[in-house]
Amino acid sequence: MAKKVSLLEDFTKGIWKENPILIALLGLCPTLAVTISVENGLAMGLAASFVLICSSTLISLLRNLIPKQVRIASFIVIIATFVTIADRYLAAFYPEISKNLGPFIPLIIVNCIILGRQEAFASKNGVGRSILDALGMGLGFTLVLLILSTIRELLGSGTILGYQVMWDSFSPWMVMVLPPGAFLTLGLMIGASNWINDRRTR
Amino acid sequence: MEKNEITASDQAAEASETPKKKAPAPKPKKDPRDHLYKPKGRPLTMSSSPYSQTKDNVPKIMWCVSLALTPAVIGAVIFFGLKAVYMISISILAAMATEWIITRIRRKPNTLDDGSAFLTGLLLALTLPPTFPVSGCVLGSVFAIALGKQIFGGLGCNIFNPALLGRAFLQASFPVKMTTWVLPRYADMNAYTGSVSPDAITGATPLGLLKYEKIFTDLKPLFIGNVGGSLGETSALAILAGGIFLLILRHADWRIPVGFLGSVAIFGGIFWMVDPATYPSPLFHLLSGGLLLGAFFMATDMVTSPITIKGTWIYSIGAGLILVIIRLFGGLPEGVMYSILLMNGLTPLINRLTRPKFFGEARA
Amino acid sequence: MNTSVKMILVLTLISALSGGLLSYWDAYTSEKIEAYRQQEIQQAVKEVLPDTDEEKIQEAGDFTFYVGYKNGDITGVAFVAEGGGFQDIISLMVGVTPDFSKFTGLAVLSQKETPGLGTKIAYDPSRKGNETWFVDQFQGKKSGNLTYVKNQKAYGDSEIEAITGATISSNAVITILNKCIPTAKSVFESINQ
Repeated sequence: MAKKVSLLEDFTKGIWKENPILIALLGLCPTLAVTISVENGLAMGLAASFVLICSSTLISLLRNLIPKQVRIASFIVIIATFVTIADRYLAAFYPEISKNLGPFIPLIIVNCIILGRQEAFASKNGVGRSILDALGMGLGFTLVLLILSTIRELLGSGTILGYQVMWDSFSPWMVMVLPPGAFLTLGLMIGASNWINDRRTR
Repeated sequence: MEKNEITASDQAAEASETPKKKAPAPKPKKDPRDHLYKPKGRPLTMSSSPYSQTKDNVPKIMWCVSLALTPAVIGAVIFFGLKAVYMISISILAAMATEWIITRIRRKPNTLDDGSAFLTGLLLALTLPPTFPVSGCVLGSVFAIALGKQIFGGLGCNIFNPALLGRAFLQASFPVKMTTWVLPRYADMNAYTGSVSPDAITGATPLGLLKYEKIFTDLKPLFIGNVGGSLGETSALAILAGGIFLLILRHADWRIPVGFLGSVAIFGGIFWMVDPATYPSPLFHLLSGGLLLGAFFMATDMVTSPITIKGTWIYSIGAGLILVIIRLFGGLPEGVMYSILLMNGLTPLINRLTRPKFFGEARA
Repeated sequence: MNTSVKMILVLTLISALSGGLLSYWDAYTSEKIEAYRQQEIQQAVKEVLPDTDEEKIQEAGDFTFYVGYKNGDITGVAFVAEGGGFQDIISLMVGVTPDFSKFTGLAVLSQKETPGLGTKIAYDPSRKGNETWFVDQFQGKKSGNLTYVKNQKAYGDSEIEAITGATISSNAVITILNKCIPTAKSVFESINQ
């Protein structure tokens, strides 16, 4: 069964077909909370991808060693290790971003995308496939965060990555940097992806 | 015994008054049990649902409500000048254009002539401050129609009142512009009591003055409408005229304004009796802010208010209670929009809880 | 091998490796993190005590006082004041004259106010070239019983111009200051008699 899926598909499915946010609706908490600016969204996406790729690699290497009774505990310890590494790294080298993201970097530990991929994929597949899967999922997650945060920063602050791009008299839509703006934009994005899928299958 | 139950049941009697379709079927044979179904007096004719009692339809109601808003529009023009005409017409145009574009995209029949988009644009404009930029009116109208109504599936499927949702979006997006007021052209500076400085009054509505500056405004200008406020909400006189017209035509359920205004008067009155120096009188509550406009024209929206009589009372009294709490203890001076939107959100729940018993259903 | 023994072994092994890796990583990063924190506080102290060339640290109770000297004379005292904002704790670096009567400066260390509204207490992008006007206006004001005014310039010695649309955040800052300064004053005087 697993052999039938091509390596390419292992990688690409995370980007669209099984996108962790748009299709599986996992990891919504950081998605909604940190996407106020492109910088934050990108940092969050990269940090989560780093944790996902590292822990997928390690867990697929150790998959035959870990007894299944303690697999979740082992996964969490491994994930937590990489999250702490990412958290400390950001705090030491990018203190401003670390301050903006606040508790959401440590909270990657309980992000469903990461534990879900370990349980559903890395613990059952070889290292190569697991890395491809993690790369695809990480990329899918980061892309959605990037689009969401671009829309929110553009309309909510009139800037992208801190540079003014809207015309001078543009008055920012405050709602876009507030929680309702995150829900509205994400809802519209999920709606659009469903609409596209719907039209494709027709 | 059974006969009595049939005539006593409200539901059956209401439904039976004038059935929409008179079955042209041939006369049935005389049934020996006829007397069971046809009690003396009013005959009970049953047909399958839906039942319709009047010749009203959506366009007629929508255009009548728009007509009933004419006095408020005239008031807006008198007090705030031609800017009002500009804002109102741009809002309506934007709402109708959005409706047309989205029905085209959704490949649905054109619904412009049912007047609901016209009404949404009109109502939205009337709730905006006179200094609000016209581009913001367009944004609010587009949001109201696209995300307030069409995204749920069009008229009848929306959970919230589209005009109020558009206003809520604008309020959240441009909090400063949405609370920047000017006095109308004929404002009377003597109408304000308290430590008055002209600076304080130019920038506020009577409710804002009360909340932040502890300045009370006289009732007479409040009634006529030459105080600061949104385009169509300042003149209680104009709104009452339109509202009563609407109630006479029965295009709005009288229980909603009565319950809403009544509960505001009662709950506001309780606080006023405890401490008249801090809390405003019930009449001030009724005449100030957007309460009258909201109670007559927005809370009464048929799509977003409960369908049962008991539910209607819960809905309107609840809205009044929330309003008084927001006005007296909230961070904002005015809360009509949020009180109606909150009760809109509760409407499906209220409908479920107050569902009438099925005929013959045992008491639980 | 017995399953439970294996379970314990594997989990212990993973945890030990994780612990080892993290302790190495912590040693590597903690220096930088601590250095950044110190630098941030130093910078804030410099900002709120403009007229000093040397700072000494005095710790007493809940407060850490940064006492500023110039040519051997005390020119000001800085300390951290915290209190509830609109959503989360607002942390301020307060600079006052040695007798605690006037502000020499004010800086926001951390806040989580509404983006675009309350965040203007720290940074207001709508006033180009003068983005920190809200905290800057405190310089020279009297430190006791501050009040705020809305939609107009503040003239009085203890009047502060509130941010339009963010009265609650503006008021929170003033409340924190009104509450913390007398406490800090009494603590500071009790250790410097």
